[in-house]
Amino acid sequence: MNPRRSRSSDNGDFRNKKRKRCPFTQAGIRDIDYKDTNTLTKFITERGKILPRRITGVSAYHQKLLAAAIKRARHMALLPFVAEM
Amino acid sequence: MNQDKENLYEGMYIISATLSDDARNKALDKIQNGITSHGGEILKIHEQGRRRLAYSIDGHREGYYYVLYFKVKPSAISELWHDYHLNEDLVRFITLTAEKVIDKIEFKALEQTE
Repeated sequence: MNPRRSRSSDNGDFRNKKRKRCPFTQAGIRDIDYKDTNTLTKFITERGKILPRRITGVSAYHQKLLAAAIKRARHMALLPFVAEM
Repeated sequence: MNQDKENLYEGMYIISATLSDDARNKALDKIQNGITSHGGEILKIHEQGRRRLAYSIDGHREGYYYVLYFKVKPSAISELWHDYHLNEDLVRFITLTAEKVIDKIEFKALEQTE
C-alpha cells in the first residue's frame, strides 16, 4: 500500500483518478508478435529497457507475453539491447 | 513427445546485406533446400527487405530479412540449427512454432486511450 493520505480530504481525488487499463486487453489482442516493432517500442524506454507494468498498466498476462516478444525482437536486431542516447 | 508428426514453424532469417542479389537468392535457396531435404514443406515466404540492424552483429550493420513458414518434423529442427550456425551468409535466425500461416505481415495498432 502507498503511504496513507489523510482520508477525509484526499479520498475523493483518489477515487476519481482514472485507473490505467491494459491496452492489450482493451484492444482484444490475445498474442503479441515479436515482428510488431511499432507496438513493442511503446513499451520500452529510450534506453531500450522494458517498461514496468506499473507505469504502462499492462495486465500481468500480457506483460509476460510482451517481455518475451521484446526479447525475441532484440535477438533479431529489431530492437536494441541498449540504445545509445 | 511425438517426433514424427510435422509441426508448423515460423523462421525469421537475416541474410548478410553485403551479398549481391544473386548470392542472396542462393543463400535463401540453401535455407529452403535445408528444410525440404529434411522432408519439410515450405508454405510461405515473406521478403521483408533490407533493414538497419538495431545493433551491429559480427560487423554487419544492415541485413535482409526473410520470414518463412514451413512444416517439418520437430526432430529436424536441431539439425537445421546446426546447418544455420555453419552458414556464414546467415547473420541471425530464429525458429518458432507457429499457430497459423500469416498471409500478410501487418499489425493492428493499439487504440489510443484518452
